[in-house]
Amino acid sequence: MGERIERVVVRELVKLFGPTRALAGIDAELRAGEVTVIEGPNGSGKSTLLAVVARLARPTSGTVDYGSDRQDEPGLRAQIGVLSHAAMLYPDLSGVENLALFARLYAIETPRERIDDLVDRFAIGSYRARPCRTYSRGQLQRVALARALLHRPSLLLLDEPATGLDARGVADLEAALEAERAAGTVTALVTHDAELRDRVGDVCVRLHRGRVQEVSACPC
Amino acid sequence: MSLLKAAWLIAAKDLRIEMRTKETVLTTSLFGVLVVVLASLSFYIDPITSRRVAPGVLWVAIAFSGVLAMGRAWAYERENDVMRALLLSPAPRAAIFAGKAIGSLVLMLAIEAILVPLVALFFQVDLTWALAPALLVIVLGTVGFVAVGTLFSVLTVRSRARDLMLSVLIFPLITPALLSSVVATRELLDGATLGETLGWLQILLAFDVLFVTAGAVLFEVLVAD
Repeated sequence: MGERIERVVVRELVKLFGPTRALAGIDAELRAGEVTVIEGPNGSGKSTLLAVVARLARPTSGTVDYGSDRQDEPGLRAQIGVLSHAAMLYPDLSGVENLALFARLYAIETPRERIDDLVDRFAIGSYRARPCRTYSRGQLQRVALARALLHRPSLLLLDEPATGLDARGVADLEAALEAERAAGTVTALVTHDAELRDRVGDVCVRLHRGRVQEVSACPC
Repeated sequence: MSLLKAAWLIAAKDLRIEMRTKETVLTTSLFGVLVVVLASLSFYIDPITSRRVAPGVLWVAIAFSGVLAMGRAWAYERENDVMRALLLSPAPRAAIFAGKAIGSLVLMLAIEAILVPLVALFFQVDLTWALAPALLVIVLGTVGFVAVGTLFSVLTVRSRARDLMLSVLIFPLITPALLSSVVATRELLDGATLGETLGWLQILLAFDVLFVTAGAVLFEVLVAD
């Protein structure tokens, strides 16, 4: 559903929350097959930038270009996968029920096979049938990662994806990012973890007070 | 993804959660029962007066329980910020409105299935002849209530004063539907035919069409950041 996103170009992006200037004129480019790490101190605008690129927040001014004029809004949304601070999972449904619901909302053709694949990849199997309310933070994060990747998005936006994950979980995350890179996915990753940044990142964009302070190659 | 299919997925999800937790129907119908019991203690004078009071008590109980039910229905989306995941999906935004409204409508009808016989019992109302037309009024009144409630409940997802805000927004707006429902129900209990209450039913129908349409159109605007 929808055309694959090959690159995202952000121009002069400004986002105001009342008098607070969360983004103060961001210019950046995210490319297919690259993991762009967005870093910066708390309040520098990292999560707001992801929310605007994910179309969850409207920019006050500036543009986000997804590389196609023909893309309709639902088609564009179908190409975006997001992992945010909150797990975005129904606590009273099990992990697999959550994945099955979103698989149907995204009209995935072979949902059972896709869910089984993600359950294996993120080692969700042992708790797959329990309500998410009973999950630990790390277990919730694994299912949230599976939900973000479920519909094979061509633009992947991950906000602190390693939160709560154990060593095996971080290894699974890194393997997933490598697979997405190989598949040509445009990936943006917000993290404060310098080691993770250096292991998985291709480009590092450093934000400060809502502006791009530095763009460099990873490891930086 | 068609609008109807997405709406059904969202409604079925809400109903599955409710079947599992039974949280909304149990708590809100218990609250409705309390309203009916307290009203019967306060307003019962004699069988004739009570028959005139019963429709008002029924609709106040439905409205109060309904506000609680609407708040609970949106709590599913608030927890873990799942609303964002719905907004990110390619499902039409109107389908989210329709799905939440259908789910809430089923829950409200379940609550009303408890409240209607209870009001008949406590206020000594014989529903034998008026039950079928009264059910039509109840369904029409509930559709309007749910449409308004769903439309404005979404505003409360990110509000801290959500319960108070929901009541303040819903009650003034549903006044025409509430008033029409009370009067139509009272006339039916007084022996009027469905045809004689047609004017009130037309108001209810117009209210339903207006707010279902407004909900489907305005929902996208209200969820935009």
